[in-house]
Amino acid sequence: MTGQTADRKKAVRRTTIILVTVAVAFYLGFILMGILRA
Amino acid sequence: MTTAVADAHDAHDEHHGPEKGIKRWLFTTNHKDIGTMYLVLSLIMFLVGGSMALIIRTELMQPGLQFVHPEFFNSMTTMHALIMVFGAVMPAFVGLANWMIPMMIGAPDMALPRMNNWSFWILPVAFGILGSTLFMDGGAPASGWTMYPPLVLQTGDAFPFLIFSVHLMGISSIMGAINIIVTILNMRAPDMWLLKMPMFVWTWLITAYLLIAVMPVLAGAVTMLLTDQFFGTSFFLAAGGGDPVMFQHIFWFFGHPEVYIMILPAFGVVSEIIPTFSRKPLFGHDSMVYAASCIAFLSFIVWAHHMFTVGMPLSGQLFFMFATMLIAVPTGVKVFNWVATMWRGAMTFETPMLFSLAFVFLFTIGGFSGLMLAIAPADIQYHDTYFVVAHFHYVLVPGSVFAIMAAVYYWLPKWTGHMYNETLGKLHFWLSTIFVNVTFFPMHFLGLAGMPRRIPDYSTQFANFNEIASIGAIGFGLSQLIFVWVLLAARRGEKATDRVWEAPRGLEWTVPSPAPYHTFDTPPKARVAQESFE
Repeated sequence: MTGQTADRKKAVRRTTIILVTVAVAFYLGFILMGILRA
Repeated sequence: MTTAVADAHDAHDEHHGPEKGIKRWLFTTNHKDIGTMYLVLSLIMFLVGGSMALIIRTELMQPGLQFVHPEFFNSMTTMHALIMVFGAVMPAFVGLANWMIPMMIGAPDMALPRMNNWSFWILPVAFGILGSTLFMDGGAPASGWTMYPPLVLQTGDAFPFLIFSVHLMGISSIMGAINIIVTILNMRAPDMWLLKMPMFVWTWLITAYLLIAVMPVLAGAVTMLLTDQFFGTSFFLAAGGGDPVMFQHIFWFFGHPEVYIMILPAFGVVSEIIPTFSRKPLFGHDSMVYAASCIAFLSFIVWAHHMFTVGMPLSGQLFFMFATMLIAVPTGVKVFNWVATMWRGAMTFETPMLFSLAFVFLFTIGGFSGLMLAIAPADIQYHDTYFVVAHFHYVLVPGSVFAIMAAVYYWLPKWTGHMYNETLGKLHFWLSTIFVNVTFFPMHFLGLAGMPRRIPDYSTQFANFNEIASIGAIGFGLSQLIFVWVLLAARRGEKATDRVWEAPRGLEWTVPSPAPYHTFDTPPKARVAQESFE
């Protein structure tokens, strides 16, 4: 694996983790909002 | 899940071409195969959802109850909407994204190819589950696609299946969106700067961000519906201290950006096609990017314009009214730029261009009626009437659906290596355009005269316009059979050249027609390729 490919793989993984975290946070956040309001 | 670039290169089929038989489609990680599957699924769902629309319009052709029970009619309106939104329009754009984005940015494949396979295969399961509710006790969901409680909680056995299928659709969309963002941000050819990206790629990047922000919100809302029904919570049940209006706020916080999820990629498609057939570069590329971003941002702060009649403080009504009207500004920038691109261009009117031109005109009509609905005091009159039905069908049919058809005609020769039948394509266009207006334009008058939506019967004063709309719907439905025929017959068409059209721009036109199974194993020089065109 070349250095460039390894760097790109790392970047892909980092972006994916950030986006998954955002999606899960929105999901749980809106349910939490419902809990706090109910 | 985090299968990445290197894995794509190491994949078995990288060196051998596609697998044979059904395994090719079940296990493929190739973006072109997955794009094709999305597009085929979308076409099937378009025909299924269209058949439901024809059941609705047949019942409404005359006043009185003729063909179906009112409960089944309500199921048809609900299922038609869910299937068209989540099964036809969204997968079609994801299919186009899968096919075209890697080729447009010079990437060998999507960044997460195995997740791409999952994103697709979840969808037929989701729609299989949703479709199965038609045969359950209590019938299919009938509360409208908005699934408002407490009505939706009266759904029969279908309720948990509805919730599960919506969750699956959401998961599929989110995974697809993650893949698109990761691909665009990390897999571009080295000299493909962000602001040099084609408009289709840009609009999809923005759409994918919208998807990641709002699909989990819908998932949260339906999860709360599920716990209200089965686990004794009272998120939305007034009897238990809950608030049904909160569901509406949460739903429309998802629902309004969802409208732009279905229209921004359409803007991207039209922004690719109009320059090609005007033989000029897109006017104001960067301003188009900023306008699309602006629309996406505004889409998050206008949701309550769907709820003016629910009741809210005057300051709230004013805020949501003016914020909604503000969306006309960036949208106007886009329409201006399309017109300016055509201005003094050497225009020709092949089928993709015809659909794109119809898009510009007819989507704008939908935009104008949207502005009328944004006016809070007027909306109290229009709300839940056929005026709303006319409005959003103008946005979604000659808007999103026409853009999808334009895209298919535009890129089909690149996908198949064969030209489609231009005469039949134009016939399909003219019949679709005539009948789409015959169907939906009279609905404005019906709405203004006070005909409510989602009803199987109506007062005799509405009979004439309903009859016209139903005839239009049948004509529109039959016209789509021409589209199916054109697609099926495309493999017998004359060989397409690599560039296909006279003046296309973009990396996808530098590869042979049909596009090879693997493209851009080594990153292309995007700017050199572009300059060689010009």
